[in-house]
Amino acid sequence: MTGTTIDHLVAVIVFLGVILLFISLFNQTIQTAIIYQRHRYLATKCSDLLDDILLNPGYPTDWGKLNLTPTSFGLQDPEFTEYRLSPFSLMRLQSLTGTPFTYPRTGATYSNISMGFGNFLFVPYTEAINYSMASQLLGTNNTYGFQLTITPTITVSINETHAANPLTLTIRVAGTGFPLSNALVSYCFLNVTEKGPQKNPSYSSLFNTTYTDNEGLAVATIPNVDADNAYAFIAYAHMSGLVGTGYHERVTGYKEYVLPLIDSFEEKQVLLVHSYNVHDFSPPESSVFFNATFVLLTEDFTLREMPMENSIGKLDKVVYGQGTKEQYATLTIPTYNPGILIVAYESNNKSGVVLMPWGISSMAFPVSFGNDLSGREWVATDMRQVMVNNIAYQAKLALWSLEGYQVTS
Amino acid sequence: MMRTVEVLLVIVIITGAFIISSFYAVLPQPRRVSPINLRRLALTTLQTLDTDHDLSLTAFKPSDDSSWANLEIALSACLPPNIVYNLTVYDVLSSYATLYSVYKSMSNVQNLGVGSDASSYLVASSNVTFQFTPEKIGGGVTLYILNCSDANGWWITGYTAQKFAEDLNTLLSPYFQNTIMVQDTTQLAKILNGIPLKNESLQNAVVINTFGEAVPIPGNYCLGGDHQSEGYEPHYDPVPPMTFNYTRYCYTLGKITRQFNWTWASVVGYPFYYVSNTQVFANDQNTYGIYGMQKVYQGGLNAFLQGMDNQNYAYNSQLPTVNTTSIIAHLSTTTQYYCNYYGIYPTLYQTSTRALNGSILYTTYHLNVTTYIFDPVGNQIAGAVYRNITKASGGFLALGLTRTPDIRLTALGLLCDYKPNLQPSDPTASGTSKLVILQLGQVGGV
Repeated sequence: MTGTTIDHLVAVIVFLGVILLFISLFNQTIQTAIIYQRHRYLATKCSDLLDDILLNPGYPTDWGKLNLTPTSFGLQDPEFTEYRLSPFSLMRLQSLTGTPFTYPRTGATYSNISMGFGNFLFVPYTEAINYSMASQLLGTNNTYGFQLTITPTITVSINETHAANPLTLTIRVAGTGFPLSNALVSYCFLNVTEKGPQKNPSYSSLFNTTYTDNEGLAVATIPNVDADNAYAFIAYAHMSGLVGTGYHERVTGYKEYVLPLIDSFEEKQVLLVHSYNVHDFSPPESSVFFNATFVLLTEDFTLREMPMENSIGKLDKVVYGQGTKEQYATLTIPTYNPGILIVAYESNNKSGVVLMPWGISSMAFPVSFGNDLSGREWVATDMRQVMVNNIAYQAKLALWSLEGYQVTS
Repeated sequence: MMRTVEVLLVIVIITGAFIISSFYAVLPQPRRVSPINLRRLALTTLQTLDTDHDLSLTAFKPSDDSSWANLEIALSACLPPNIVYNLTVYDVLSSYATLYSVYKSMSNVQNLGVGSDASSYLVASSNVTFQFTPEKIGGGVTLYILNCSDANGWWITGYTAQKFAEDLNTLLSPYFQNTIMVQDTTQLAKILNGIPLKNESLQNAVVINTFGEAVPIPGNYCLGGDHQSEGYEPHYDPVPPMTFNYTRYCYTLGKITRQFNWTWASVVGYPFYYVSNTQVFANDQNTYGIYGMQKVYQGGLNAFLQGMDNQNYAYNSQLPTVNTTSIIAHLSTTTQYYCNYYGIYPTLYQTSTRALNGSILYTTYHLNVTTYIFDPVGNQIAGAVYRNITKASGGFLALGLTRTPDIRLTALGLLCDYKPNLQPSDPTASGTSKLVILQLGQVGGV
């Protein structure tokens, strides 16, 4: 009798133990399958959402050129079909990476999309579309997080290999996977000429073309350039439908310079401000004299100058703690065709040149928009090749879920 | 002891079940859990390469041309390093046995693996123009455009009837077997008497009067002419107190329209308000200083409609067939559809001050609307094509818009009514297109 009882007890205990063990084992398999399905769904959602953003211009369709907030979010160029994005809608996206700053004279905070010194793009927060707004308009608010990056497919990097007489610049053209050999490179060289103290600088321009070699390298030789000359060099490389752009500047004045701030997309207005008004350096510094021009990117990727009002002016001396007599200069870009605002400046016998794209593609600025993806448990990504005003870009969307179990690592 | 043995048996069974289920429940490779949409990537890559039609141009180059090398470089440059490709260009053949044959292929890998995907893209030769061939209306219908050099127009301010005739010829001649410009009133008299000008068929023709509110009248239908009885009949109208002599001519036009089953088109304003012949009426003017015409007044339209309805002629200037109240008329949905079909895009809304009264046309003249060019506003119809409700002969297109006319509306109204088909050229015809297929695969990882 006792033996039977012990037999039952051992059998029940072993049975229960085994059942628990196998439930746990089956559970793991099922859980893995469920997570696989969720991740798979997330990947599909990522692809759909990317198409939603890229194949829809939003509403109003030309919201990129207006000051209002869109009621539907999309980046497609309303004048085209397929994967062609509006260079102005992209400009209105609040940058994820750049450090914003506040301009004390107007009190406006600016999204910083700049690509280093001299290649500036500042968009006021009042005009920029932030992630929260885009997420609400896309219907992903509180359900999915995303990060959208639009990067140029072709990288054109320019290095100075000989400083003067002649100035020699090496242009390196590469795609995301391979150097672009035998590509036609058309370039524009703008040489800044100082006119002496208290005078606006002038500039001269030179246009030419060259080809890249098998390693994707091309050399541009510019005669009659002194080592202390400030200049800007803009190059467009194109081959078989792929177009990329690069730029390079040499400046001698790094402290007193001009910062272009976009004021209104609708009015096409740009403020030119004294660098000391933004960075609040001390002690008080000299006036900056400027000479601005707008160059238009033509269909054959050459640059054409367009006349612009108030292109020559002066940003007065900064009196520390009191600002300037004239706080900023206002320029009106004459067109909605993408181009580059070039501002040559001079102060205290130091000169330089700053560039600002009008339409993100004219200087192939990358765009990073959305939320930080670090710390997410699973991030699905997808990509498309897109065109922004004929410049080749790659659009990548990273998407993660904000709902459910284990969405953060 | 027996129970323990049974439990051990259960353990063996469950273990077996777990092993078997684990064997079949194969989880996919991590790459397949969250794949890049290679199909879309391939399509957008092809679109990018064809931005400046470079891909289209290269596809038709000889297979040893240097542009293929450039295409390969561009393709390699624009794809991420972990993406491998195979691009194949196919000739499109007309043979039913083999539709596509390989023309050129390039790849940066021998095997794309099982995880690849592809997109296709059709490119057209730059030497080929795709076009639409219009179907001829009614098989052999003739289009007459009144281009009489010896008549003047009214309410076509800023233009001449001859200019309208030229534009109409450009717009409509592809849709008609014969398009004949009636160059003077002598030629008009011929066709009114049933004599073709160029051996064309008079039956079922379309006649467009480009002279606006005036209509050319041949000299022999005027006082003293051999057809005077069909054109001239003085009638004193007390309101306004004036004698109108040529209302009967409009009746004759209505009769002939019915006889030959013509479709008469009036391009603007009040139809049949004047008759014009610069030689016969050299000293008469329309009270606005345009010589060469005589007023017919409101009786003209009613006379034309009487003729079209096979009624007896009776001068009638009091029946308000035309409503002179100004309205804004919008293109009908049907017309808007055909705007896209025929590629004619007038403004969607127009001002009408001479709209026809739909109920009078129906009750008095037995005309049904077969095509609304504009949506009616109450009883007012700014533009439509009318035909007899008993399906007797004759049709009438009237655009009661204010001056100056948009001649495209007349062309659009006729096309909406006849609906000739457009036959597109075949993009898959041999030699005109090539099919490009880009297959992408991923390398690296698991």
